[in-house]
Amino acid sequence: MRKKPPLDYGGKKKPDYARRQRYRFSRRALLVGAGQAGLFGLLGWRLHQLQILDSSEYRLLSDENRMTVQLVAPARGSIYDRFGAVIAENKENLRLLVLPAFCKSLPGTLNSLSKIVPISAATRDRVLRAARRQSGYYPVLVAEGLSWRQFALLNILAPQIPGMRTDRSGYRHYNHARPMSHVVGYVGMAGKAEVDLAPVMRLPGFRTGITGVEKSFDKELRGSPGTIKYEVDVHGRVVRELGSKPSTRGRDLVLTIDHHLQTVALDRIKEHRVASVVLMDVATGGILAMASTPAFDPNLIAFNPDPEQWKELAKARDHPLHNRAIRGQYPPGSTFKVVTALAGLSAGVIDSEETMRCPGVYALGRARFRCWKAHGPGINTHEAIKQSCDVYFYETAKRTGIEHLAATARELGMGRTYDCGLQGEKPGLIPDTAWKRAALFQPWYPGETVIAGIGQGFVLATPLQLAVMVSRVATGRAVLPKLVMSANDPIDSFPQLNFDPAYLEIVRNGMFGVVNEPHGTAGRSALKIPGVQMCGKTGTSQVVSSRYAHKLKGWEAKTHALFIAFAPAHAPRYAAACVVEHGGGGSHAAAPVVRDVMTEALLRDPAGRPAFVANNEGAAPGALAVIGSAR
Amino acid sequence: MKMLFAEVPAPKLDLRKKLWLINWPFIALIVAIALVGAAALYSVAGGSLDPWASRQIVRFCFGLALLFAVAFSDIRWWLRAAFPLYLVALVLMILVPLIGVESGGATRWLGYGEFSFQPSEMMKMALVLALARYYQWLPPEKIWRPDALVPPALMIGLPTLLALAQPDLGTAMLFAVIGGGLMFLAGVSYFYFAAGIAAVIVALPHAWEALHDYQRERILTFIDPERDPLGSGYHILQSKIAIGSGGLTGKGFMQGTQAQLNFLPEKHTDFIFTMFAEEMGFIGAVGLLALYLLALLFITYMALRCRSIFARLVAAGMGLTLFTYVFINVAMVTGLVPVVGVPLPLVSYGGTSMLTMIVGLGFVLNAHVNRRVVFRPEETRTLW
Repeated sequence: MRKKPPLDYGGKKKPDYARRQRYRFSRRALLVGAGQAGLFGLLGWRLHQLQILDSSEYRLLSDENRMTVQLVAPARGSIYDRFGAVIAENKENLRLLVLPAFCKSLPGTLNSLSKIVPISAATRDRVLRAARRQSGYYPVLVAEGLSWRQFALLNILAPQIPGMRTDRSGYRHYNHARPMSHVVGYVGMAGKAEVDLAPVMRLPGFRTGITGVEKSFDKELRGSPGTIKYEVDVHGRVVRELGSKPSTRGRDLVLTIDHHLQTVALDRIKEHRVASVVLMDVATGGILAMASTPAFDPNLIAFNPDPEQWKELAKARDHPLHNRAIRGQYPPGSTFKVVTALAGLSAGVIDSEETMRCPGVYALGRARFRCWKAHGPGINTHEAIKQSCDVYFYETAKRTGIEHLAATARELGMGRTYDCGLQGEKPGLIPDTAWKRAALFQPWYPGETVIAGIGQGFVLATPLQLAVMVSRVATGRAVLPKLVMSANDPIDSFPQLNFDPAYLEIVRNGMFGVVNEPHGTAGRSALKIPGVQMCGKTGTSQVVSSRYAHKLKGWEAKTHALFIAFAPAHAPRYAAACVVEHGGGGSHAAAPVVRDVMTEALLRDPAGRPAFVANNEGAAPGALAVIGSAR
Repeated sequence: MKMLFAEVPAPKLDLRKKLWLINWPFIALIVAIALVGAAALYSVAGGSLDPWASRQIVRFCFGLALLFAVAFSDIRWWLRAAFPLYLVALVLMILVPLIGVESGGATRWLGYGEFSFQPSEMMKMALVLALARYYQWLPPEKIWRPDALVPPALMIGLPTLLALAQPDLGTAMLFAVIGGGLMFLAGVSYFYFAAGIAAVIVALPHAWEALHDYQRERILTFIDPERDPLGSGYHILQSKIAIGSGGLTGKGFMQGTQAQLNFLPEKHTDFIFTMFAEEMGFIGAVGLLALYLLALLFITYMALRCRSIFARLVAAGMGLTLFTYVFINVAMVTGLVPVVGVPLPLVSYGGTSMLTMIVGLGFVLNAHVNRRVVFRPEETRTLW
């Protein structure tokens, strides 16, 4: 037992072992510390020997064995339309690269290269900057799209130009480019954030999806990169290939789009300044055509884009890069009356036989809401839809209330995005009291319910949403749009909507009247195919309240023209929606477009024919691996 | 001197006092070394935070929190926990050959699903604590007696043998060096060490017989790396070429050809010093070693200032661990000792070794914070 040292009494002192131990520890700790320092000195001596004395010898050895491992970009999967027409494919691209680490002097190399391939000052700048920024063993792209002549010349001169590389990679080419532009999108250089995520993005000239299907399905399309190991000498010349792992091609995609219908649709709406049309298969939700004008040519953007042209495209007043079918949010106008009618019927506040009188104006408190025409007495649900009587729907909306109206609209698929593989879908807007309180900090006014009943006020919808809505009315099922075919697709059977089929039938009959009965608003747009009828609903929506209309002039002051339809009337197969921005009346501008596109669809019947199946067996594991590693 | 060591009751330490007592320059030094490591990992990945540097930084921050937690904890708690911790570590090490996960010809890991851990890492800490605890208990006048050597010899010998059985030569050597060093510091007579060294020399030929083929191969290629430059000598040779070609000033950050061209094996873990020396040259490499040496001097200084033998031995023992790691790693990549697979503390990529080391440094700081604490005999008499 350790004892306390005697402090205050005399006699023979017991040795203070604890203190001795402390001193011994101090001595030995210093000894160990000195030993450690000495051993570190040994390390320093070793480093001195290696790095100072024998450095030149080791430097030679290091120069002798240089090996580069290069990533091999995978080929991007192709994109087909539903019948196997190639929409996006890879073409050969001859390129010139430099490896800065192997150049004697990078500017010198660029000078010698510029004798064969013109190198602009901007390119030169870009190459020099890239060489400074990243490790010298990542190749930097100098030029692409070389001619065979240039390519051959460069390969002959390769031994004389250190650090130079040529290779044959692919570039993306789009067929049926303009009609498919908005749907397919295009590829481009990856942004900085993406480069940090996947090393393959660092490959010079590697392209990744920027918009549309190319972006949404980028992971599937991309494939996974391979590697090649080279042994190179001090000048960067390849001595031999040491081994390689091939890249895996990306998965092929088959769209539900029929490129022929798509072309017809775009050609048909081209006469308008800004317009879009969507055609859907109501049974599967497959989008058969989705055209938006003005369109653009993705080939000009995806490969060797001209900066001036790009700027012009991006800044153009009518925004050709925007896909109006999913990004254009319009007041749906009278097309929304289909929703209001269904809401009124399902709430039990109107009876389909009940008639109202339309004096051409509707009074709510001190406010007056006008109808586009004084329809007179005897307006029931069928007549109201057929003749698009505003007063009838003002009253219906008032009786139904905004909450049930909004719920019905949502049940019909409005006010949301579908994420079916397109980029930048807008949700539209189905207003209710909660929304207004949260967004505008205001209570809901009854007058707003009244104008919401005819699709004005806060209500907004995209053409795709309108197409979904009319598909749901036509089938009574919760149809969802789809853009890409998948091999093991179950035969889609969407769940039944929560509506009495009788009410849906009343609404459909009204829509039948719009096109096929006298006094229907779209009587002139009936199909000309014998025995086949189309049901539809016109819409003409005001851009601003009539109070401010005088502030806008010309094109911008005109109303939007809308039309929604499905056909054949009694066995619906196709649904369509068309919006012509500032096109005037729905029956004049939009209905004829839908009639023509619908006629083409019915005669061609794409939904009735077997779709193309891409051969993806070989590529599928690679694609899966990429998805897996990205998690 | 007598006044200085007069046994007055230890002051109660609250967190504010502890914050004041902790050695902040030492913490700054640790952070500096870890930052060098992060920069090296950034370079190894070809100028990218992924996949190593970012994760390493996150782990280090987590480790730093752990370091503070250990540093501010009560040293009496660790005094009580020392033997139980050792026992748990020993049991886990015994379990490893029975239910462990095999990888690369060695069974070192205990794991269930995603989670896995190496009991030998825990043992490194537990061994230091247990030995320090033993000498705190042992009356100083009995330290010379041969029977006082039996418990520490067993405490060191069992884990060493278990590590050899895994087989993990590096860890076994580490246990032996740390254990021996602690016994030396505690004051065991020089005579016993002389006898021990003599015994090792006698036993060496027999040990050679017991070694695995790959371990013999490593030692043989260490003696003559050029024997088989594309086989087992490859690592050492390439590492030496990389370090040597760095020269005085190095090839520049992210410009190391050996590392960037994938000539180096394990360049982000055990061979990260090679890459660092290649890119930063003699100046950078010696600078990094100087940082470690400074840290070791700090630890020695902190150990000397402690009053209880437990705190002294804990601090010094952790210092020995740090030193052994750094020395073996750098000596290994420069071709001074065989390749045994020891990481460079705080710099090499890897969660377990980083955490072990940083917890060890936490114990050093704990000893430093509690440098004036002395234990009453009755506190050391019980086993826990």
